[in-house]
Amino acid sequence: MGKVFTGFGYWDVGAWIIFFIVAAAYVLWLRYQGRQDYKKGTEQDEIYWSGNETPEDGEGLTVPASSAYWGFRKALEPFYDRLVGMHTGVASDILGYYVVVVAFMAAIILLV
Amino acid sequence: MNWNEHLPALLLALPLLGAFLAPLCSLGGKTVRNAMFMAISFLTLLVAFFLWRTVLAEGIQYYVMGGEGSRLSLPSGMAVPVRIILEVDALSAFMALCGAIASFAGALFSLNYMSRFTGLSRFASLYLLLTAGMLGMMITGDIFNFFVFIEVSSIASFGLIAFWRDRPAAVEASFKYALISQVGSMFILVAAGCLYGRYNMLNMAAIGSALQMGTMEKLALVFLVGSLAMKCGAFPMHMWLPDGYAEAPTGVTCLLVAVSQASLYGLARVCFSVYGIAIGSAFIPWMIIVFGLASMFFGVAMAVVQHDMKRLIGYHSVSQVGYMLLGLGVGLLVLGDPRAMAEFGMTAVTGGLFHAFNYTMYKALLFLAAGAVYYATGKRDLNDMGGLARKMPYTAVMFLIASAAISGLPPFNGFVSKLLIYESSFAVHPFLAVVALVTSVLTLASFVKVFQTAFLGPEKGVLAGVREVPPAMLAGMAVLTVVVLGLTLFPSWSLSNVAEPAARALVDQSGYIGAIMGGGM
Repeated sequence: MGKVFTGFGYWDVGAWIIFFIVAAAYVLWLRYQGRQDYKKGTEQDEIYWSGNETPEDGEGLTVPASSAYWGFRKALEPFYDRLVGMHTGVASDILGYYVVVVAFMAAIILLV
Repeated sequence: MNWNEHLPALLLALPLLGAFLAPLCSLGGKTVRNAMFMAISFLTLLVAFFLWRTVLAEGIQYYVMGGEGSRLSLPSGMAVPVRIILEVDALSAFMALCGAIASFAGALFSLNYMSRFTGLSRFASLYLLLTAGMLGMMITGDIFNFFVFIEVSSIASFGLIAFWRDRPAAVEASFKYALISQVGSMFILVAAGCLYGRYNMLNMAAIGSALQMGTMEKLALVFLVGSLAMKCGAFPMHMWLPDGYAEAPTGVTCLLVAVSQASLYGLARVCFSVYGIAIGSAFIPWMIIVFGLASMFFGVAMAVVQHDMKRLIGYHSVSQVGYMLLGLGVGLLVLGDPRAMAEFGMTAVTGGLFHAFNYTMYKALLFLAAGAVYYATGKRDLNDMGGLARKMPYTAVMFLIASAAISGLPPFNGFVSKLLIYESSFAVHPFLAVVALVTSVLTLASFVKVFQTAFLGPEKGVLAGVREVPPAMLAGMAVLTVVVLGLTLFPSWSLSNVAEPAARALVDQSGYIGAIMGGGM
């Protein structure tokens, strides 16, 4: 029931589930061990926020979704400028892409 | 009376009846209308299930509309079928079951989601009409009738996307979809006209039995492939999709996901069952593969930078459709090569179709969860959300399951279908599998962002009063979650009973034609 043969090999859902259970148990065991030098109520309890002063308000700690993967987007800025630029939202552009694709396909298929 | 014989007609009659009953039932009040809405949705699901079981047990079912007998496809003296015939093979039944599940889940979710608004008799009417149009596209064996059902579903979609007509964005999204959808439909009509002009036939099996590639057939194929690829959201013709999906009421978005799969079904049916090996050159299969690769990569690239929850999930729809196009394109590429078909072509088609089923379930679930968040918070922008897992634990868990499935994390169902596509597309060229793998990594990155920003982290002050959504909405999501978990835990059963019969039916052109033409290929 849980084994899938792909024609190139197989995988087993039960093996994955057992793997996750074992991994979760190991992580929980590690966490349970704790640190021997931990002292409650000291500076060890403070949030480390990249060396900056921790904001009082919890909301200030979050990275907004629009800033997530900023580095990825910055590195690919020329690609994203073009990709986002083609999504104008203008109805005639949307229709234009469709007409161009169909015309291209029609031209090529008549040649081959 | 043998009810099994009439299941194809019942599958269309039930939602159509419901669509026309909705305004009448509304006269009896909200309870009567809702009871009728849910009863029709549930009965449609039951009929789809029994039809699927019947097709698996007894083979292809067909139903002649308005004929002397519902099983008389070629009346005496006729060489070709002249009436509208509903032809249901394992692929049609598989798609109809998938669509009926999404329709039922969306209807259940909408009971509470839409209860704050007026005009719900129109909503129920259009919703059931959209369901009828979608199911009609999936089970008709007639190419003109296919166009009619596309129109039925399109017109219902325009009304439903613009249901909140006081929102300019909703009206604009509906207008854009109406514009491109109507041009696409006209091309489909022209294609049907080309084939009718050449063969004097509209039945897809009959056309398939006589088809020989010429200029008109080539143009018809291009019009059909281009239009249906646009309607299922292939890049670069996808731009209507994020707008339409984001602005429609959420229960409708859930159904629109299944409707886009009806277009994908149409594309597969035309390429495999009508044209089949007569398709000749590798241009169209490669075009479908290129659509798939471009949709996967550019769709997910756009999704990664979105912060409107529904638009982000909408761009992922473009990306996920790419996987199915890739699988079907690889299968079509080797359709005329029995050895390659046996080695990896069938795996690709099975993977593509299984992914269509998986995608409909987890994508519909993601949209419903996004709708639940919008219902509870009034927000769609991820920047305004945070810490919702504490307030909405059930929604958070179901969203997490759907996110893991769409990202292709083992052991979830999305992984199984993606694995089949990776391995089979690798056999054609490693680059195809690399694009698919990179897309999967970016999908995971995108949903990590969504889950982290919406459900984890500190609570936002403005969301202090947020509560979990009402039971009917949770039940709508739970239906899809159960299906996703079922497909996850029993992948072997799902493949051998759900996806593989559909894939075998798709590549068996002679079986599809023979059921109507009496083996007259």
